[in-house]
Amino acid sequence: MTTHYLVLSALLFAIGGVGVLVRRNAIVVFMCVELMLNACNLAFVTFARQNGNLDGQIIAFFVMIVAAAEVVIGLAIIVTIFRTRRSASVDDASLLKY
Amino acid sequence: MNGTIQAPTLEYAQLAPMLVVFGAAIVGVLVEAFAPRYLRSAIHVPITLLSLAGAFALTIWQVVKGVPTKPAAMGAVAVDGPSLFIWGTILVLAFVSVLLINDEDHFVAAAAAVPGSAEEEQALHEGAGHTEVYPLALFAVGGMLLFPASNDLLVMFVALEVMSLPLYLLCGLARRRRLLSQEAAVKYFLLGAFSSAFFLYGTALLYGYAGSIDLAKISAALGVVGGQETLLYIGVAMLGVGLLFKIGAAPFQAWKPDVYQGAPTPITALMASGTLVAAFGALLRVFWVALGGLDWNWSPVLWAVAILTMVVGAILAITQTDIKRMLAYSSIAHGGFLLVGVVATGAAAGQNSKALSAILFYLVAYGFTTVGAFAVVTMVRDAGGEAWHLSRWAGLGKRSPLLAGIFAFFLLAFAGIPLTSGFFGKYAVFQAAVAGGATPLVIVGVVASAVAAFFYVRVIVLMFFSDPAADGPSVVLPSRGTAAVVGVAVLATVFLGVFPQPVLHLAQNAAQSLFIR
Amino acid sequence: MELYVPILVLAVLAAGFAVFSVGIAPFTGPKRWNRAKLDAYECGIEPTPQPVGGGRFPLKYMITAMLFIVFDIEIIFLYPWAVAFDRLGVFGLVEMVLFIVTVLVAYAYVWRRRGLDWD
Repeated sequence: MTTHYLVLSALLFAIGGVGVLVRRNAIVVFMCVELMLNACNLAFVTFARQNGNLDGQIIAFFVMIVAAAEVVIGLAIIVTIFRTRRSASVDDASLLKY
Repeated sequence: MNGTIQAPTLEYAQLAPMLVVFGAAIVGVLVEAFAPRYLRSAIHVPITLLSLAGAFALTIWQVVKGVPTKPAAMGAVAVDGPSLFIWGTILVLAFVSVLLINDEDHFVAAAAAVPGSAEEEQALHEGAGHTEVYPLALFAVGGMLLFPASNDLLVMFVALEVMSLPLYLLCGLARRRRLLSQEAAVKYFLLGAFSSAFFLYGTALLYGYAGSIDLAKISAALGVVGGQETLLYIGVAMLGVGLLFKIGAAPFQAWKPDVYQGAPTPITALMASGTLVAAFGALLRVFWVALGGLDWNWSPVLWAVAILTMVVGAILAITQTDIKRMLAYSSIAHGGFLLVGVVATGAAAGQNSKALSAILFYLVAYGFTTVGAFAVVTMVRDAGGEAWHLSRWAGLGKRSPLLAGIFAFFLLAFAGIPLTSGFFGKYAVFQAAVAGGATPLVIVGVVASAVAAFFYVRVIVLMFFSDPAADGPSVVLPSRGTAAVVGVAVLATVFLGVFPQPVLHLAQNAAQSLFIR
Repeated sequence: MELYVPILVLAVLAAGFAVFSVGIAPFTGPKRWNRAKLDAYECGIEPTPQPVGGGRFPLKYMITAMLFIVFDIEIIFLYPWAVAFDRLGVFGLVEMVLFIVTVLVAYAYVWRRRGLDWD
């Protein structure tokens, strides 16, 4: 049964999504985004099994690469702002509003 | 799961414009690695400009040779009429944006140095700089080319990231007001990654529904696969979130003002023109090619989004005091006007191609005007950099009538006054929408245009009819590149406003065959 | 049975290399004893004592980690190719070489910009 995997994937995606919305630390927010991407990967692999073709597995590879590139760029940006402000809280970054 | 594996074929000629841009970007990285610091800029600028011009020539060559009728690269990339038109537009806009980027004092001397530290002082003193902006911009442009041409959702996702990742970095590289710039980069990055996760999950659900990520196969599966509509609808909604975020449509517009304000102005110009064009191309392709048979379901949602976007953009722009932020809200409102065109589909192919050609023309018109407007913004300077506060622009018409006149002209084009390109863009889109039965949307659009015209005119009044402050901003003598950008933008805005026929004709030709499958 | 011969050869080669390296090292390597060498092994560098509850790491760890992630994960694309390289033929080989050259360009950038230096 593939349904369980899909439910798990949806749960992970939801946990990630809620995390992005409620967490304060930019690094944690970013980890939640990564959790969402991995939930996508689980869904892709499950659907690949269900559909009986390999597309989903190959997509998972690409998603992993993109996620890695995102990690590198994201950490670079977050570390830069952390060094400026000594804080990685997304609430402190509030110069731009309205 | 077995089946024979065969080596794929690639149509290099069709993909050539992208290959040239990506190749030049990689050469740019090599230049960064091996050229001495004082030579880098002198090597980068010609490589970047030549590759963009070369890619443009290759695009033209394909149009002359005959537009391909089948997707390339095993169905992954569709180089069709609309793609080629969008490619040409993006390449020209990127070319002029790179001329703006060429003024290197927009970019930080050492991105890793803490703002205000001795390290930064030293880097400034040494004349250090990040010439990486050229390859990064080229990678972003390459992604912009691939994004609207991708014919399956995976390629589209990869293109989305290739386009976005360099832009996240470029946003944080402003030389002045660095805290704002870094904050803009963090916000853009976190929200962008969040939205691309939605795009990806939508892709996963559509893959689960249709068994393929190929746009044409998804379209074919729409009527056939039964009993899994939930997957389909949630998937389409999530895909829509990802795409509408890139356009900056309400309610996903929150990043746009922050990012446009914080990013270095030449990068803002590149994003406001190139990214918008690319994102609209991709949105149109997904909704028309893959989900065309489902328009009864997504059309009402896009109606609501279009109305909300126009209203939010026009009304919030009134309250802005920062010039770049105001232009960002103006860009949101224009995204709303363009969405009116996306909604204006019909059962007949003629209606679709009419709406498509209107959108393509609008994108060209808006792209040039917005690059010009941001170029003007770079030239009005205070002691601490660009004079960002609107009150500082008071009386600019008395101090520098030419520049203020040009800016006023761009603002009138944004407002859609006749004899400017904006007028014909709006006219074409609204006309297509009326023909497509979206008259209520057009009424909202006209009202929103009137509201928007109010704040454009307010800036003009401020520039020409109020007294300049004693310590007002100075207008720097533009470099040749910046002057050329402003000149090109003025010419394009006038030309498209007075003789829209050639470009309109081109857009109609490009739209005639619609998107290929 | 002869299908397993290459694996056997590989195993012998690998074991031989390991034995050779470990065996030859005492005779050829320099013998300099210092504090770092006698210390507990921690990735070849001096252990950095951390306060209980986790302190802050210097930023250079992050650069190394990021470089590792990027270059490590690129290898993922070699796996599908390795499964079907014989059927993909010359086309696959050329594309893979192009891919690795592209990764090498990034590597050259990191190397020339001294991203690989520890200090």
